[in-house]
Amino acid sequence: MTVADCAPGSVVRLRRIAARNGRLRELGFVPGAVLRVLARGGTGGLIVAIGDARMAVDREIAHVIQVEPVAGATRPGGRAARPAAAS
Amino acid sequence: MSGVKAASCHGGSTAVASPPGTPVVALAGNPNVGKSTVFNALTGARQHVGNWPGKTVDVARGPWRLPGDRRAEVVDLPGTYSLVPCSPDEELTRELIVTGQVDAVVVAVDAGNLARNLYLLAQLLETGRPVVVALTMVDTAAARGLTVDAAALAERAGVPVVPIDARSGRGMDELGAAVAGLLDHPHAPVPPSLGPAEPILAELEAAVADVPQLDGLPGRWLATALLSGDLPEDTPEAVQAAAARLGERLAAETGDADDDLWDADAALADQRYVWAHEVLEASVRRDAAADADTRTDKVDRVLTSRLFGLPILLAVMWTVFSATTTLAKPLQDGLASLFDGPITSGANSALSWAPGWLDGLIVQGLIGGVGQVLSFIPLMVIMFVLMTLLEDSGYLARAAFLADRLMRTMGLPSRAFLPLLVGFGCNVPALSATRILPNARQRLLLGLVIPYLSCSARLVVYVLMASIFFGSMAGTVVFGMYVLSIVMVVAVGLLLRKTMFRDVVHEPLVLELPPYRVPTVRVTAAQTWVRLRGFLRTASGIIVGTVTAVWLLSSISLSGQAFGKGPIDDSAMAGISRAVAPVFEPLGFGDWHPAAAMVTGFVAKEAVVATMAQTYTVTEPGDNHRPGALGDRIKATFEKTSGGHPTPAALAFLVFLLAYTPCMTTVATQWQTIGRRLTLYGIGMQLVIAWVLALGVFQIGRLM
Repeated sequence: MTVADCAPGSVVRLRRIAARNGRLRELGFVPGAVLRVLARGGTGGLIVAIGDARMAVDREIAHVIQVEPVAGATRPGGRAARPAAAS
Repeated sequence: MSGVKAASCHGGSTAVASPPGTPVVALAGNPNVGKSTVFNALTGARQHVGNWPGKTVDVARGPWRLPGDRRAEVVDLPGTYSLVPCSPDEELTRELIVTGQVDAVVVAVDAGNLARNLYLLAQLLETGRPVVVALTMVDTAAARGLTVDAAALAERAGVPVVPIDARSGRGMDELGAAVAGLLDHPHAPVPPSLGPAEPILAELEAAVADVPQLDGLPGRWLATALLSGDLPEDTPEAVQAAAARLGERLAAETGDADDDLWDADAALADQRYVWAHEVLEASVRRDAAADADTRTDKVDRVLTSRLFGLPILLAVMWTVFSATTTLAKPLQDGLASLFDGPITSGANSALSWAPGWLDGLIVQGLIGGVGQVLSFIPLMVIMFVLMTLLEDSGYLARAAFLADRLMRTMGLPSRAFLPLLVGFGCNVPALSATRILPNARQRLLLGLVIPYLSCSARLVVYVLMASIFFGSMAGTVVFGMYVLSIVMVVAVGLLLRKTMFRDVVHEPLVLELPPYRVPTVRVTAAQTWVRLRGFLRTASGIIVGTVTAVWLLSSISLSGQAFGKGPIDDSAMAGISRAVAPVFEPLGFGDWHPAAAMVTGFVAKEAVVATMAQTYTVTEPGDNHRPGALGDRIKATFEKTSGGHPTPAALAFLVFLLAYTPCMTTVATQWQTIGRRLTLYGIGMQLVIAWVLALGVFQIGRLM
């Protein structure tokens, strides 16, 4: 599932970026990050909340952001629920 | 000696040339964190914008008075998300910081978006340069339910943290004190611990410690850069091999072995975010309200919606276009007629004692030239104010998101819609508006295609020529010129990207949408003033010089009559036009009258109709729809030069007029925004394209 498949309002966890894109990582699109889909633009782009930032991505980017449903309660602001990676 | 003199003349009004030995403080930070507000508060109006030596990147610099009467020079670096550069702007930021060209770094950190801002801080800490955090937007964050504990943040990050409010000036003295303290006792911060990457970083750091080619670069930064594949020049092959080997090990240890997209850079980014979130947890208190929709989210639900987004964007674009055309036009005309009328006659009578040539030089050359420069001021002010408002309010990012698809089909970056739109009114502010593009190479590319946009000054000539030659088809021809203009912008853009600008590749859109903010009068005024001053400084000399030259050429009589007294078809101007005319022969208008119009059209398209009228010595037609005697004479000329095909010749004339250099002011502004070399290159390219296209139009049209 990619974030392009998500309806506005859904909260998902980032699993993997299916492209070489360092810029996405620097902007916080790292595995485990929680995304909230805010809106869909008229031309296939999306507006998502990641942490406390709002990012607009086009259709192409939306299709490489692979996500999974978040189990249980989520906090769009943080990655506290992230498994393993933290020291 | 002369060197001393030169130095003092450069000092003068700008007063930013700091004495040697003045410490340099870089102001860094993510885009949209209020960095320009901080910079304005630190330096006031004494800043100076210009290219960094040897780079095409504009940076603002200015003096900063620190506590204890110390002085520093602040360099406002381009906003950046990372020290691994994606654009020339980011490259400059990285280069200045890692090579130690700055003595300390102030990093503006948005309290309302700490995680991502801490990512950049993590990389700055890795460079080992002295860093102070200026915590901005504290109040905005608090209003959203985010309270940042500056002391806890300072302790976890290991650097001084000063909460500031640049608008009110709160915290600015403390910021100055913290920087002064670091300049007195510089010490390297402790880089963030990157978990499983630590042993690998340590191994690589040891391996590069004694490599002479990499001497002077901070070891820790070097190790991370090498792992990320951001190799400094002259990196020895052995080091590259070691970095590749260790990078693979890091990727294998931290991620899924089957995932070939997971590499060392990904692992490092991931660990920096782990660190950022740990610091965040320790220093931010979140209310329940912090995770709800913000006011910005609610506004965006309307402004970016499928239903209202595009209509609102079109309305905003219409407003910008009308403001830069219908609103600016009367002001521009008013200033121009003030110079042509009262000022000219006043100067004439004040100079009644002077010989004719001096009077002419001052009135027609200098005053005329200065008048042309000044007449652009209302237009430029309107443009710069609108640009700052759109940028600072946060709407520009939304507009870019909405316009992305359209701009992409044209092969241009999404923010280019604003300069392109303005360019249909006038190319001059459009060139200045290229500053809103975040990437320097994109700015250069756009700066080369903007002159192909058909501006309103060219419209006047289309209307005159079309009404003479095309009768009831005139409207269609004028419309066709606009279509051709857009086609040329796209085609030339494509051509440039296939040749000189192969590095400007299509980038998928990932764009931050900053919270909406009410722009302040102070920042808007300061930005407008700095930009206007830059325009005047570069453009005025070129424009006054050219206008004076044209006056001189039309005043010199070739048959030896008194200066300024001979008939126009006997002037040096006519002589030059006759010499140029054969170039236009294959295009169907090889006669000195249209040639003279093209020559003065190089100065300003507004002058084309006047020159036509002048060279045929009839008064300028007030009503273009009934060209009368002038029209008959132009028609007769084209009939003769085209060998009986005046219509294709007139079309060729219009196509040439559209495609070649718009005016001297455009050239002067290009000079300022894209540099001398590319400006000259652009002029050459336009002349060639104009000639070839017009040739095609006439030669094919003649056969039909």
